[in-house]
Amino acid sequence: MRQVLEGSHAVSEAVRLARAQVISAYPITPQTHIVEQLSEYCANGTLDARFLRVESEHSALAALIGAASSGVRTFTATSSQGLALMHELLHWASGARLPIVMAEVNRAMAPGWNIWADQTDSLAQRDTGWIQLYCENGQEVLDTTIQAFRLAEWVNLPVMVNLDAFFLSHTYEPVDVPDQKSVDRFLPPYKPRFQLDLANPCAFNQLAPPNIYMEMRHNIQMAMDEALTFLEQMEEEFESILGRRHGAVEAIQCDDAEIILITSGTVTSTSRQVVAELREKGEKVGLLKIKLFRPFPVNMLRERTASASKVAVIDRNFSFGASGIFAQEVKAALCNFPGHPPVYSYIAGLGGRDITMEVIENIYWLTKKSTAPENESSWVGLREVDHAVGQS
Amino acid sequence: MATQQPLTNPSPLLIPCSYLTTEGNKTGSWRFLRPKYEEKTSPCSAACPAGEDIGRVEMLTAQGSFKEAWETILLENPFPGVCGRVCYHPCEQQCNRREFDEPVAIHILERFLADTASRYELKPSLQKLESKRQKIAVVGSGPSGLAAGYFLTLLGYQADVFEALPEPGGVLRWGIPLYRLPLSILNQEIAQIRELGVQIHCGKSISQELLRGGKSEYDAIFLGCGHSRSLPLKIPGEDLDGVKNGLQFLTKIRRGEVADLEGTAAVIGGGNTAVDTARSAARLGAKVILIYRRRRQDMPAFAEEVEMALEEGVELWELQAPVKIAAQDGDFVVTLRHMQVVEKNRQKRARIKPDSNKKKEIRVQHLFKAIGGEASEPWYDPPKKKRGMLRLSDCVLLHKSREPTLVYGGDLVADIKSVAHAVASGKQAAIALDILFNEGLDAVRPKLQTCLVGDGPSISLETYMSGPRSLRNHRVVRYHDLNTDYFQFAPMITQPRLLREERFQSFAEINLKIGASLAIREAERCFNCGLCNQCDNCQLFCPEIAVTRDNNPRGRHINYDYCKGCGLCVVECPRNAMILEEELLCDRS
Repeated sequence: MRQVLEGSHAVSEAVRLARAQVISAYPITPQTHIVEQLSEYCANGTLDARFLRVESEHSALAALIGAASSGVRTFTATSSQGLALMHELLHWASGARLPIVMAEVNRAMAPGWNIWADQTDSLAQRDTGWIQLYCENGQEVLDTTIQAFRLAEWVNLPVMVNLDAFFLSHTYEPVDVPDQKSVDRFLPPYKPRFQLDLANPCAFNQLAPPNIYMEMRHNIQMAMDEALTFLEQMEEEFESILGRRHGAVEAIQCDDAEIILITSGTVTSTSRQVVAELREKGEKVGLLKIKLFRPFPVNMLRERTASASKVAVIDRNFSFGASGIFAQEVKAALCNFPGHPPVYSYIAGLGGRDITMEVIENIYWLTKKSTAPENESSWVGLREVDHAVGQS
Repeated sequence: MATQQPLTNPSPLLIPCSYLTTEGNKTGSWRFLRPKYEEKTSPCSAACPAGEDIGRVEMLTAQGSFKEAWETILLENPFPGVCGRVCYHPCEQQCNRREFDEPVAIHILERFLADTASRYELKPSLQKLESKRQKIAVVGSGPSGLAAGYFLTLLGYQADVFEALPEPGGVLRWGIPLYRLPLSILNQEIAQIRELGVQIHCGKSISQELLRGGKSEYDAIFLGCGHSRSLPLKIPGEDLDGVKNGLQFLTKIRRGEVADLEGTAAVIGGGNTAVDTARSAARLGAKVILIYRRRRQDMPAFAEEVEMALEEGVELWELQAPVKIAAQDGDFVVTLRHMQVVEKNRQKRARIKPDSNKKKEIRVQHLFKAIGGEASEPWYDPPKKKRGMLRLSDCVLLHKSREPTLVYGGDLVADIKSVAHAVASGKQAAIALDILFNEGLDAVRPKLQTCLVGDGPSISLETYMSGPRSLRNHRVVRYHDLNTDYFQFAPMITQPRLLREERFQSFAEINLKIGASLAIREAERCFNCGLCNQCDNCQLFCPEIAVTRDNNPRGRHINYDYCKGCGLCVVECPRNAMILEEELLCDRS
């Protein structure tokens, strides 16, 4: 049934339909609407789940690690500093192979306090062993959250579903909310492959000495590889039941494109418009949306960019001392690929600044005019600021 | 539509998993701080002159164990029914809950427990110590004398109480009006004291000879004769025919010898007797003016009593000192001098002096003097200084080698003249005599020191008799020692009362009873400061599962093999019934 839903509530509806059994979260803007709705569902019986109120995000994830170890379907949501506080337990959840699903609303890191869209919070957690997915709109958020449980439970890895603060979390859009029966068909009850059991007591995740630790890490990487394959099969199944698929990456007019823009999250929607207009003017431009960040879809990227002479990555995030994080990943994916196109890195829209159509078009023209990338990253639209402290 | 492919099984999982027990990992070896159960002292109990174990009483009440709660009071005070009604409850002033919302209504609960015991005709199971050979005479059956007899009997002595009047009770019977203390309650609690084995001989005056008798059959004599003679005003006309004395007026009312009063009555004084006199006169039909030479806040009468007197229509004239009384056509004309405050002292009563020569006159039909009392015989009072004399907080002990030891108690030695202080006096006297007989005079002071409640001066019989209370730390728990996250705001119970209009009509008790469910709810408000009420937070929060319950439901213990000293149990204890100590290496087992 099509409903006008806030992006946050698209997550809540998906978690309801997924029949999560334990939910624990600590409120933080702009994530709060997600768990607010879920707490009401738990309270009024719409969702038969235990909602654990905790005193911090660290505890929220710790509680879920306990719950998931006992073999139930778990969900949490957070943002920015909250995710940073979870850091230690992010490693734990993946190392313990617990299929926890998290909605992560991308918000800038403080200081200065900024509650607006920025992906640095979740990208800074890229090495924690979580599968990461970046969504473009409300429908994708709902579908991806349902799929996240299936994916997590298949490969026994936690999954983070990312959505941009406000541009997505607080924006109302028409969203098709599937019926429970269809979702149940796609996502049967969770059958844990291991769990704490009073009848057969055991302890998980104690000492792993050098003679086994490496194999365990490699085992996680194998699961990541499997996630790549499984995602495709799973999307096919989802499509057969619910009629939609989104893809780990999505290539728009890339086949004959000379310049390909690479985006993630909500900026993709604006870019679609820019690409369409530039095409009308005869420009050979394509757009590649990366949804799956971990595991990184290296081969798909190589294939889709093979014909281009330049790629331009727009990052709403930054790794200090290096460049945009998606750009780094793209460079790394292409560097061993003979004759790969040069990679331009553009930084735009940090801390919720608008990435307008003009900004994207400007990026296209800059890339087109340039013969080779001059910097590791170009910051687009920097303003003259006259507020510096500590000047003598 | 895409064709559906069968999904292949995921690859095997590698995670550490062990079926061995972790008991071999004795995490106790990491510990450098050691948590311990240690009950402490609640501030209310330290503030109670009788040293009642209030925190525990309320805990038992909240659990519905009314008899045990009542007996817990009886260990320290034989008069819960009386004190629940007439005590000025200093305990509630010190209640930690006051800093949270409102204090616990301790006095209402005390009265509830006594009333419940009376309603179900409960008999207390109190342990008496083995019989001793010493006999003690008690002079006066007021609250201090009866308390002395009661505690001496519990300690195994034979106590004979002598009362000059035909019925026992002293000021409780003759001085406190019925609307505050119904006779049935008093009779009930005196009967209980008798049942314990205290001999009360009424209509027997004692002469000074008893004190001197070298061959007396008594080893000690407790003098609790009270202040039954009114102090004079020392102004002209005070002995005029018809000028009455407040305490005698109250006594006559209780004997049923007073007719209704017409016209205006003036009561001179600011103590509890003056207020009782004023309120009684109002009930008998008079318009009453209470004349006091200082201000309302300086009155020694309990504030709540003054408040109620004003509610009932008594007028209070402050800073008016009577200087002359004259008779005129059967009425009295009292000349009053205006006074002014010369020095304000927060702790003490204000000092006053005449305000120039301003005077006024008042014409009244009845006049009562009630400015305090003194001993009716000079030998009731302790001598000024003598060898073998020990001045304790609530009594004075005079030890003589060949004569009976004398103990002066009650109002004769008390700074604050309250029933609770009288009970404290009787208790201190009984314990002091027991120490004296067993270990001699020099042991009295140091031994009493060990049974103080908190910093004293109140003492505990249970502690003296090495009951469970003796294991408590004397440290008084303060508000900041508690973990108030575990408590919820709840207003104090409201004392149900007769309507103001109903009070004028009769001497019926003003304060009404409360039911058991209300009492439990009020008792549940008590923080039980410093006491373990088996909430089991310590067990719940222990990350090492090192806290176990003993078979005895009151018992918890910590398995130090696994306790790593994180201190969570101590922090999460709402009541401060645990402590965290530095681990001494040599203690480590």
